Amino acid sequence: MDIDTDIQMEDAIDTSPSTATSTTSTKLTSLPPTLSQTSPTTQINTLDGWIEQLSQCKPLSESSIKQLCNMAIDTFKDEQNVQPVQVPVTICGDIHGQFHDLMELFKIGGPCPDTNYLFMGDYVDRGYYSVETVSYLVCMKIRYPKRITILRGNHESRQITQVYGFYDECFRKYGSANVWKIFTDLFDYFPITALVDNSIFCLHGGLSPMIESIDQVRELNRIQEVPHEGPMCDLLWSDPDDRGGWGISPRGAGFTFGQDISEQFNHTNGLSLIARAHQLVMEGYSWSHQDLVVTIFSAPNYCYRCGNQAAIMEVNENHNRDFLQYDPSIRPGEPTVTRKTPDYFL
Amino acid sequence: METASSTTTSNSQPIVDAQQPSTEELYPIALLMDELRHDDVASRVQAVKRLGTIAIALGHERTRNELISFLEEVIPDDEDEVIAIAAEELGKFVPYVGGPKYATLLTPVLEKIAACEEPIVREKAVDSLNIICESLDEEQIQHDFIPLIHRLAKERWFSLHIAATGLFKSVLIRVNPETRLELLKLYFELIQDDSPMVRKSAATHLPELIDLLAENFNSPDLIEEFHWDLIISMYETLVNDNQDSVKFLSIDVLISILSFLKRINETSRNEDLFKSLITLINDPSWRVRYMVADRFEKLVLNFNDKTYTLKLVPNFIALMKDNEAEVRKAVSKQLPGFCTLINEADSSIVLNEIVPVVSQLSMDESETVRSALASEVTGLAPILGKESTIEHLLPVFVEMLKDEFSEVRLNIISNLQLVNEVIGIQLLSESLLPAITALANDKLWRVRLAIIEQIPLLAEQLGVAFFDEALGQLCMEWLWDPVYSIREAAVINLQKLTEFFGEEWCKVELIKRILDKSQTKEFDNFICRITCLFAFTKLIPVLSPNVISQDIYPFIDELKDDQVPNIRFNVAKSLLLIVKKLYISEGDSSEIVLDKIKPTLEKMCTDEDVDVRYYASESLKGLEELEKS
Repeated sequence: MDIDTDIQMEDAIDTSPSTATSTTSTKLTSLPPTLSQTSPTTQINTLDGWIEQLSQCKPLSESSIKQLCNMAIDTFKDEQNVQPVQVPVTICGDIHGQFHDLMELFKIGGPCPDTNYLFMGDYVDRGYYSVETVSYLVCMKIRYPKRITILRGNHESRQITQVYGFYDECFRKYGSANVWKIFTDLFDYFPITALVDNSIFCLHGGLSPMIESIDQVRELNRIQEVPHEGPMCDLLWSDPDDRGGWGISPRGAGFTFGQDISEQFNHTNGLSLIARAHQLVMEGYSWSHQDLVVTIFSAPNYCYRCGNQAAIMEVNENHNRDFLQYDPSIRPGEPTVTRKTPDYFL
Repeated sequence: METASSTTTSNSQPIVDAQQPSTEELYPIALLMDELRHDDVASRVQAVKRLGTIAIALGHERTRNELISFLEEVIPDDEDEVIAIAAEELGKFVPYVGGPKYATLLTPVLEKIAACEEPIVREKAVDSLNIICESLDEEQIQHDFIPLIHRLAKERWFSLHIAATGLFKSVLIRVNPETRLELLKLYFELIQDDSPMVRKSAATHLPELIDLLAENFNSPDLIEEFHWDLIISMYETLVNDNQDSVKFLSIDVLISILSFLKRINETSRNEDLFKSLITLINDPSWRVRYMVADRFEKLVLNFNDKTYTLKLVPNFIALMKDNEAEVRKAVSKQLPGFCTLINEADSSIVLNEIVPVVSQLSMDESETVRSALASEVTGLAPILGKESTIEHLLPVFVEMLKDEFSEVRLNIISNLQLVNEVIGIQLLSESLLPAITALANDKLWRVRLAIIEQIPLLAEQLGVAFFDEALGQLCMEWLWDPVYSIREAAVINLQKLTEFFGEEWCKVELIKRILDKSQTKEFDNFICRITCLFAFTKLIPVLSPNVISQDIYPFIDELKDDQVPNIRFNVAKSLLLIVKKLYISEGDSSEIVLDKIKPTLEKMCTDEDVDVRYYASESLKGLEELEKS
């Protein structure tokens, strides 16, 4: 688990692996998604069984997780750094292991595969059901690769998950760190951004001073632990800010970027909007930079005590956007957590 | 870890079978010892989880001679996590040591564990001791188990006393009369222990002991064995305890005592017990009053005497006006139960005394109290009867349906069924319809959902004409709700309505309106299209082949080339439903449709989208199976 301080530097400077990445990704569009060695029907049945089990919030066995992640690597490694996504699609923000609220999300937005989904990272940590949440989303991704897109968040990393709960949860539920290892190895393959109909740029964090055009994102070597600095780190860590230009992020990674930066980026790349997650917003979504950037956060009552609403954004085929806000799911028999939070907590 | 455990089994099993030399026989226990001394807690946890396997591998004798003494030495000093699992595993150990004959060998190590301060660990040890006790014979109980209880109860350390309180239930009935008296006296000492935690634990276990005695010694010749005087002294000690966290446990003790008296038809003691109950109801600590409020119906039931039921009415009302919200909340939950009992004694009281306080409570300052009341208050309707419900309860319901706290509204709506049974849907809808339509657009989607779920019931009772006028429009509007679950419920609702009102109604009121919708601009929106598709699909099973071929199929067929793949694969799914329905009918139009569907599905099997191909081929498979049969 010694993490790649060396790889990280490589990423910041080196752009050579780009050719390799783009060839594999062109292969994807031409080929039907072949799943694995086993017959497709058995594979679909296995996946449907897992999805059924997970939808009751029952975690899969360690061996199933291993099998699942092996299949998932096959799917993810063919996806692009900037994964193209078609409309209509429903765009969602942080989930953070709040499994029951994820189920609530599907009740609000409609079940997958009937509704297409794009998740912008942070599936694990903080909540009590990170294992079930990330297993469920990965299962859905493998079963319906065209119907759901999942991006990498700053929490889909070895370092962060050791501090904020996913590591401990894996250890508690499986008695060893194996499952954590399998998942964090898989996270390296998650795409880092998505482009909805060439118009909405979706990513977990925000922009990077080292990235002016989307093509530069396509040239990154993403298959690695999230570095401590450099463009890939910024995409997963940055936040928009009221101040113009680039600023130092209080998070200690990534940058803050002002409206001038967003204007320039959207103009250069012909975008109408940047959709991102990463920050708790009390209404579940929040506009900034005069509607050039939107923050979407999909974990209601974050950490079971922030009292915030959650939201998802539906983008239909005419590029109309509708926000749906929702509250925590009601679980009969569980004590209701107070929604009143002292101001100093926020 | 799983693999590790299976290796151990496969390694150790042959060793025992093959009767290898003693050095190798030591292997499993050596391995276990290693793992039990592992630095990592998780590894030790895994090791103790496998204790049973190790014991099987060692055989009875070596388990007795080596494993148990080893555990006794190592386990009690380990982390709580490890001890807890060991304690639990040891409860299953009787067969591993060679059966009940040797079961008492297991008690010393569990006794050590029971001394642990961590409640979870202690409880596991106590549970395991109780399990082991079941397999002991009378001799063993007398010789080993009773002294064990005595030791625990007489030690100086409070956690041992707590452990002791949990063990009486296993032996109390199985011992001879003298020992039983001795045990009860010992228990009385624990009830008076210096430490409140011990008294609390003793009070918690006491109702179970009383129930055991009541069950076994209720006939006149055995009544002595109940030891009334001792039991009542324990109860009185608890009632007078200076800690409210101990005192409030006396209510459950009282219930057990009352239930015993009820069983033997003894009423002479009721007056004294009633007096002590009144003291508890008026206790300065709200926790005690809460406990009474929470158990009110049970208490009254066990007094089993109408005079006391009536005497308690003022106390019940006082609890409804208690200044602690938790108490008002608890007593609200008891309303229907207690009022049923009052009604059996005197039918005027509920209306004259309780209902006015209910109205006050419906405006309580605490939303959780109002919410609790909302979930129970409809239960008063059957007690009051039609006239009084209309006059006195309906205004309360209407007010609560307007409550600013959504849970209150939701609880009333979800329980309207009861009211319907009493006053009939006609009156209910007349008085509540305005409130219901107001809630149809409630901002909380679960309230909207609860309303939709009431609609089929309303429809059935209202009849077509009135329904169309009052609710027809609403039912269509829900189809376009922003929340998926509401749209889904609305679609299911349409199916149910068609079942009541018939096909002709469906054609005019639903199909036509949905087709009209498809001519509007909103139909450009994917969600609108897929909802129309879902609605038509859901109607297929309840419509005749004729309507399906003429109205439903053409609409669905048109969507087969939709630009959105999600629509296309849902068309593929719907087509199979149409096939299944039309296959059994014989009309010409059905055949025409069937002839068209197969090529459509075949074409969809070559769609550019993988999911469309998948669902089209699944439907095609279904169709071909039908053709074969």
